[in-house]
Amino acid sequence: MQQAMNILTNLSSSNADVRFAAWRAAGDLHPDQIAEVGKLAASTNPGIAKAAKEALTTLTHSVGKDPANPKRAGVVNGLLGLVASGAADVKVHAMRLLSHIAGEDSVPAIAKYLADAALREEAIYCLERIPGEGSIKAVMSAYAGAPDDFKPRLLAALGHRRSAAAKALCAEAMRSTNAAIAAAGAKAAARIGKAPTPQFPQGPERADAVIRFAECQAREGNPAEASRLFKSLLDDPAAHVQCAAVIGLSKLRTADAAVAILPKTKSTDRTVRITARNAWKSMT
Amino acid sequence: MSRSTRNTRRSFLRKAASASAAGAFLFDIVPARALGLQGETPPSDTLNFGHIGIGGRGRGFLRLESNLGKQVPASSNLGGDGSRKLRAARSIALCDVDTGRLDKAASVVGGKPRLYKDFRRLLEDKDVDAVYIASPDHWHALHTIRSCEAGKDVYCEKPACNTIEEGRAMVDAAERYGRVVQIGSQGRSQQSAWEANNYIKAGRIGRVRKVLCWHYASPEGDWTPDAPPPPELDYEMWLGPARHIPYNPRRTHGAFRWMIDFGGGQIRDRGAHVMSIANWIMDADAGGPVSIEAKGEPPHDGMYDSAVTMEVTYQFRNPDWTLVWAQPGVPSATLDARYGAVYWGDSGNLTVTLGDGAGTSTDQKVKDFAASCDCGKAFRSPGHSENFEDCIRTREKPIMHMEAAHRVSTLCVLGNVAFQLQRKLEWDPVSESVKDDAEANRMLSRPGRGPWHL
Repeated sequence: MQQAMNILTNLSSSNADVRFAAWRAAGDLHPDQIAEVGKLAASTNPGIAKAAKEALTTLTHSVGKDPANPKRAGVVNGLLGLVASGAADVKVHAMRLLSHIAGEDSVPAIAKYLADAALREEAIYCLERIPGEGSIKAVMSAYAGAPDDFKPRLLAALGHRRSAAAKALCAEAMRSTNAAIAAAGAKAAARIGKAPTPQFPQGPERADAVIRFAECQAREGNPAEASRLFKSLLDDPAAHVQCAAVIGLSKLRTADAAVAILPKTKSTDRTVRITARNAWKSMT
Repeated sequence: MSRSTRNTRRSFLRKAASASAAGAFLFDIVPARALGLQGETPPSDTLNFGHIGIGGRGRGFLRLESNLGKQVPASSNLGGDGSRKLRAARSIALCDVDTGRLDKAASVVGGKPRLYKDFRRLLEDKDVDAVYIASPDHWHALHTIRSCEAGKDVYCEKPACNTIEEGRAMVDAAERYGRVVQIGSQGRSQQSAWEANNYIKAGRIGRVRKVLCWHYASPEGDWTPDAPPPPELDYEMWLGPARHIPYNPRRTHGAFRWMIDFGGGQIRDRGAHVMSIANWIMDADAGGPVSIEAKGEPPHDGMYDSAVTMEVTYQFRNPDWTLVWAQPGVPSATLDARYGAVYWGDSGNLTVTLGDGAGTSTDQKVKDFAASCDCGKAFRSPGHSENFEDCIRTREKPIMHMEAAHRVSTLCVLGNVAFQLQRKLEWDPVSESVKDDAEANRMLSRPGRGPWHL
């Protein structure tokens, strides 16, 4: 305990080297001391504020490796306390650290900040990193009440997590009259990639969404649907989309795919032609 | 000029050339230059480049309008000795979030390049064949991926990416669209590095067991007050996917690399050069280490957070060898340079200095060997940009292709993660995950901000 008290004292030393030694030893701090460290992190002395934030980081890392670490819950609770009552930049720092170690049990406490304009970006960053269905459900629950300018961010998180549970919500988003929300819904649905194939909205991002969705279908053991989707892009006006379709088909390694690729080996577009010839070679 | 227009002209010229016997009159009205005769480059074979990020580094890629149609010498900083020639190309579109830099670059290029503040608008430009990306590191992944999705071939400055997830997404994007992506670790295009590669592969120092990199320490930094961003800089766009922090001139242009969020310190900035050569020579372009251990110190004070001193030890298996990144480390005993690597084999050692642009060098014995022996096995790049531009035409993979660059970046990123966590990481290079370390695995990716996501 004396060691921990010394760390706390030394974090506010006027000597940068003493502060450094203190923050490096901060894994020995007790979680109950986090509030005190949080006050130092709000210091107007930038050196002390830095040392305190680094101490919080060190403490977080000390419990981060094993989610079963008995000290972890205390550190998480201490950081949640800082998010609730710390200075503005300390709240942000604490939320970032929570993204390293918070588990499903902390999701409700973090998810409430999705409605806080000042912290919502940090809250979604944190939830996106917390494994398990709990964080996904929390994001989905927040979606309906979220302002339109934040909905694309929530959809991006759901797409990144590739959760099948979010499929219907993404489909709904794709039908939005708000172009940004519709595009974000399509991107998320494409990354989630769960059948049945949705009706991707027209727009500049449609081709990429179809290609990514087709890749998911191939990975999930549905080559017929993947093939259908790739073939639908073989005559796209954009040469690079044709290339993507050819490459996607070639990876299916089916006779059907080979037949579809063959005409492209004589494409008038040089890039498409070379891509198709290379794809053909890779299949044979 | 639209792509369709260009294609029409290409088509016209092709037909015209094939019908030359019947239509000799054509040559009365079409200059030889336009048909690519007499050593001239036809305009239809001129590459149209877009440039994203045109600060100090980015300006080095610009093609001056006054050089149009000429075979201009390659910059020695892009690989080679400067005597090689770059193909005919134009810088037709420039993009930067700093209008001051944009205007300066436009005046350097000459002519009337199209100017953009938003890279998405540049990528919509159908006349742009390929892009040179020299934005800050935290933008590399998104700029590269969106460029691939827009059908552009890409030359992106090193380090390729800021996280493992970004690197893998970049590999996927390049592969998905069949795009040529060259990352700017130019050392692989340097003659000395190529000779050293052949020398070691010929077994001249025996089996290499250890590669020791050295580099001087990073700056400590100081405290500079935050300030309002200058009016010419769109700071929100500069931040892009990175966390929001107030503008500070010592964290943006040039100095961003001392912040983990934006850059990642010397190990990522110069490690992407020195360790690129190591991976190339050691045939580690498709794999990675099995463990990473780091020690050292970050700045005790000041606003930077990347390592000032660090020593990172990577263990590789099958074959077994050790890579050490040390800042500062032990410099070569044979060659004087600020950074480089010494390759230690069973029967000797070899130094390769720098590993980026001009100045990359190796021991005299390698040069003697190269002169006396026709034993070159490694691909010989004609120069980094030249190789990129060749590959745009051939659709082959360039020498620093995305998978290789991702594997080098993986070393840099994992070195920093091990340094931050102050514990050894057990790495699975196949699944690209850390064994039994929940926190380290979360640090392999970094969610984006606002509309900026992989």
